[in-house]
Amino acid sequence: MDYYLQQLVIGLSLGMVYALVAIGFTLIFGVLNVVNFAHGEIYTIGAFAGLLLFTSFAPPLAAVILIVLAVGALAGVGLERLAFRPFRRFTDEASLKSRAMREATLMSSLALSIVAREAIELIFGSQFQAVPFKLLLNNPIKLGPVTIVDGDLVILGTSALMLFALQYVLKHTRVGLSIRAVSNNALGARYVGIDTNRTIAWTFAVGSAMGAVAGILVGLYYGAIFPAMGFSPGIKAFVAMVMGGLSSIPGAVVCAMIIGVSEALSTIFVASVWQDLVAYAFLIVTLIFFPRGIFGGVRERV
Amino acid sequence: MSEPFLSIRDLGRAFGGLKAVDGVSADIARGELVGLIGPNGAGKTTLFNLISGFTPPSSGEVHFKGRRIDGLKPDEIARAGIGRTFQNLRIFPNMSVFDNVSVGAIGAERIGMLSAFTGRRGVSERISQRGLAALQAVKLIDDAEELAANISYGKRKYLEIARALAMQPDLLILDEPAAGLNETETKALADFIASLHADGMTIILVEHDMKLVMSICRRIIVLASGRKIADGTPAEVKADPAVLEAYLGGDDA
Repeated sequence: MDYYLQQLVIGLSLGMVYALVAIGFTLIFGVLNVVNFAHGEIYTIGAFAGLLLFTSFAPPLAAVILIVLAVGALAGVGLERLAFRPFRRFTDEASLKSRAMREATLMSSLALSIVAREAIELIFGSQFQAVPFKLLLNNPIKLGPVTIVDGDLVILGTSALMLFALQYVLKHTRVGLSIRAVSNNALGARYVGIDTNRTIAWTFAVGSAMGAVAGILVGLYYGAIFPAMGFSPGIKAFVAMVMGGLSSIPGAVVCAMIIGVSEALSTIFVASVWQDLVAYAFLIVTLIFFPRGIFGGVRERV
Repeated sequence: MSEPFLSIRDLGRAFGGLKAVDGVSADIARGELVGLIGPNGAGKTTLFNLISGFTPPSSGEVHFKGRRIDGLKPDEIARAGIGRTFQNLRIFPNMSVFDNVSVGAIGAERIGMLSAFTGRRGVSERISQRGLAALQAVKLIDDAEELAANISYGKRKYLEIARALAMQPDLLILDEPAAGLNETETKALADFIASLHADGMTIILVEHDMKLVMSICRRIIVLASGRKIADGTPAEVKADPAVLEAYLGGDDA
């Protein structure tokens, strides 16, 4: 029983991490109808930036998280500038969300993700980075019969805080309103004076900031920071987005939690090397039985 | 002589070989309510799209409040003070009615680095005031928290107008606002447009419903095959032989 509870806590923090990554996918899909294939690299960049900060200045964790947020936002804006904006030469709605746009940016974001990954590998090498032991977030905490590590609490706390912040931003700030407006009807937004290019850049900033923080949190949790670390959570988050109905943030968060918890609990039945299969199984089931997401047909956007 | 409020000069737009709008010129003064009519395919909507930046003109110029606006992007033109509505609505269906108008209110101002994350309730009381005023004007205040997708078609039309009004535009262009409304609703809409005009708003109205246009506009511009064929009071336009010919040849009147 204790083992189940322990796995549940691990699953919840894993799910929160997927949720943070999935939100970036979902926000960007909302405004552009495209999948950003470089999103996993933003996560990697967040982890490396955090590690560099720790090893060179040794600031407190909260400061690192804030700086990684900013680094992620900047990386996101740069990514949009390089891989997305050049393909958005026409401004009418048809070409803004057209198939050609989708395919072009799919390739350009994939290309940029490869360049980024290889560049990181060139600088840091492809192996795991040495994470100083004292930085690792795996000091055990006994909670009654269950033993968790402080990393679980840090991840759950930080993620919850960021989810609330995101809700506030989307519901009550100018940027949030603009993002939702563009996501609802890009052309309608332009005609009331919303600068769509700027709004899309903001969307990348917000989504990437969250993805980057997820990267450093997981890096410190597992002590595993390496150039290809963004791939697996990227896939999981992508599955969560599809399960959640592509452009629903609550949907993506709930599905990310489902995937995280299922993965953690799956180790009860199968060896943990099979754990990745869980997300793929969810994806297949979703695509066959719930092609519009498991919350059934409700096209609720951000 | 001072610069006219809105000045359309020899404006043209060709799609391939088709001249959808062909050398149209018109000056519109502040405070006017001008009807733009014409048979199907006359280029009315294209002319609107040229003014609001949806399509760039192939020739000619548009000047607004002394500034040349042709070639600007739609959002720049909107911020310059031109609000518009669409024949097929472009509201934000998954946002609340109040959030819809709030977007109109924030759109009018460029988002700066610092103001970007300030709330609209706290710091920018002005924004929500503007949104609420716009909702009050179209009597949608009771539906403020409702999702835009869930209100009736007629109300959504007013919502789109309210969203444009929240920008506090100097010029409002309405593209077939009465399309899809029944006679009673059209009458109410006519009264509403007339009241906006009475409050000082400059309005250009494209409309198929001749009765609506004739009843509230004191000036009517008639387009046919992309050209301006008449420009005058309803009585003058009705008596114009060119207009009669354009409409008799067409399929509606």
